[in-house]
Amino acid sequence: MTTESLGVGDVVKSGSPMIRPTNLTSSRVVASTIPDEGAMGERILDVRDFSVDYGWGESAVRAVDGVDVHLDRSMVLGIAGESGSGKSTLVYAITRLLRAPGVITSGVARFNLGSSDDGERVIDLVTASERELRSLRWSSISIVLQSALSALNPVVRVGAQFEQVLRAHRRDMSKVQRRARAAELLGLVDLDEDRLDRYPHELSGGQRQRIMIALALALDPQLVIMDEPTTALDVVTQREIISELFELRSRFGFAMIFITHDLSLLTELADEIVVMYAGALVERATARELYEAPRHPYTLGLLDSFPPMHGERTELTGIPGSPPDLAHLPTGCSFHPRCPFAMARCAIETPPLIEIEGTRRSVACWLQVGDAGVSVPVELSRVSTSNASPAERVTEVSS
Amino acid sequence: MTTSVQLAARHLTRHFSVRTPGRLFNAKRVVRAVDDISLDLVAGDVVAVVGESGSGKSVLARMLARIVTPTSGDLVLQGTPIAIKSKRTLDYASQVQLVLQDPFASMNPVHRMSHNLLRPLLIHGASKSDAPAMAEAALRRVSLEPPSRFLESYPHELSGGQLQRVSIARALCIQPKVLLADEPISMLDVSVRLGVLNLLRGLCDNERLAILYITHDIASARYIADSVIVMYAGQVVEQSRGTSLVDEPTHPYTQLLIASVPDPSDPTRDTPPTGERAQAAIADQGCRFSPRCPHVMDRCRVEEPPAFIVGEDHSSKCWLYADHETAVEVALPTRRKEGETATT
Repeated sequence: MTTESLGVGDVVKSGSPMIRPTNLTSSRVVASTIPDEGAMGERILDVRDFSVDYGWGESAVRAVDGVDVHLDRSMVLGIAGESGSGKSTLVYAITRLLRAPGVITSGVARFNLGSSDDGERVIDLVTASERELRSLRWSSISIVLQSALSALNPVVRVGAQFEQVLRAHRRDMSKVQRRARAAELLGLVDLDEDRLDRYPHELSGGQRQRIMIALALALDPQLVIMDEPTTALDVVTQREIISELFELRSRFGFAMIFITHDLSLLTELADEIVVMYAGALVERATARELYEAPRHPYTLGLLDSFPPMHGERTELTGIPGSPPDLAHLPTGCSFHPRCPFAMARCAIETPPLIEIEGTRRSVACWLQVGDAGVSVPVELSRVSTSNASPAERVTEVSS
Repeated sequence: MTTSVQLAARHLTRHFSVRTPGRLFNAKRVVRAVDDISLDLVAGDVVAVVGESGSGKSVLARMLARIVTPTSGDLVLQGTPIAIKSKRTLDYASQVQLVLQDPFASMNPVHRMSHNLLRPLLIHGASKSDAPAMAEAALRRVSLEPPSRFLESYPHELSGGQLQRVSIARALCIQPKVLLADEPISMLDVSVRLGVLNLLRGLCDNERLAILYITHDIASARYIADSVIVMYAGQVVEQSRGTSLVDEPTHPYTQLLIASVPDPSDPTRDTPPTGERAQAAIADQGCRFSPRCPHVMDRCRVEEPPAFIVGEDHSSKCWLYADHETAVEVALPTRRKEGETATT
């Protein structure tokens, strides 16, 4: 970890409106105690007003629009959304893995490296130098990608891929130690040591994904990002991998960002869930609250899109229409053309993401906002009445 | 109304021989991708086949579409036996159509939808003057309005859900009696999946189409199907008329499958035991599920179980039910049989 820049009191907010991920040599390094933004404490990641565009100028398409997310140590944040909602773009941008034409156009992503004698060490990932990022990646933040076959090098044996990571980050380890560590890591994900001598194509999809997870944990990171780690796997393998993952988390205490389109999976495993639609956050709540009382019509529609495993077979409607084209977003709330609750206002004004009073949850929907701009909690009823008209499904909560 | 079986399959089997790596003289090994499967596709009925990747469900669909030639078995299309080893005829294709998983890959990207839709019509004998109207009618059947707009567009201009509807329309425009849908929703966005499922259910109810719905998602099978078949390693391990298989699973594999589905409605549920590791989990001898089965007995490792009747129109290929009557015909019985209730 580079330490020469620590203690520079400069609060980092980049001056230029456009920070190209590929051109960072001139960016200022931000690693300081950041006194005026408050100590992060248990918070490990704090992302504010984060926007990402694809392309420049006239043709730019906004893929992530002013997103705020944060994550506490050892917690699991779930990001749910459909393809094109910007969920993967968001984490690639935060970890600065985003390639051109992706551009971070605004925001800070403060990452807490933990406390030391001179206070907290906080780094802004958006302005961090390539060198700092390199030391951070894998050792503090690691990522598991959706397609393990394309993430693993197909012409290199699995053992050598562990070897590369350990050699790059742990200079003090001997060859024998590295091999032992690789075998130990495979043991964590219930694979035999002999897999180290295999090539990726000789392994099944589930085994490859396990290797990706073992690789991600190789350097004991504080934050592990999972980008649809189980989407390509069948449900039994998915269940095995998820339960292993959570066993490992309770052992090592890393925080996790879990990205998936499968909201029913997320409600089982995440502590907090944010739902993205067309690049923006539409709802944030704890997993149980989100499942039991979704407040945004899109969340409600998503939850109703999974046929239940119990009870009467009733016809479900899902969400009419199709996800919007980011280059031609509807005016106002981007969900309004598909929304069964849409009002005149929705087509004109974009609802802000506001916190519902007295709760820790936020939602971006005009239904939840009174005339004075004060949030009026409105509950949307779930599956049982999915054939009811929109008006019947809204009940004001008398609090 | 009498049940009209559109397509009947009996003892369909497909073995692939693969070379064992590292052995001298190319030692061959046989993979039993589909082993002795019988089923009836009936007009106005959705049969769902559920299985994990590698269970042989897609090979089954391709055999029914006659793209893959079965190693053995019989196919009967509307009462007429089919010579399975001969080449697929145009007539067969006009009755049995296949819809594939990836709508982006199954459309020619350099042609407009009109080309993609008119081609099957012209091949199957529609006149050039009638074909455009038939293509429009097919698009209306899958709720793509206005059809003219979709005929003019290229695949990249449509969303996944719309494209999948077009591929269903393409399969339907020649008025087949049987539609084979191989994982039609797994590539689609969550919010549009139900739309496609409801469309398939509607086609089945309103137009008396016989549909085979292949999926790995047992919840969607429960939602749409009239009968459900669970496949493991090329064999049917459990099948039921209605969804009793999902509500009261009897085979240990089905139980595992159902326990693995995320179910947020039950927050107290423990993570289910997942059995042994999936690696090399298919036994060559005895019950194929035995290496992973939590209830495995000595007998399971030696003898392959037959299908036992465990409930009304519900059979399970497991020795746990050895005291039950064996199912005579493996295909779903059209006549209801007296069966005992399952005991576990």
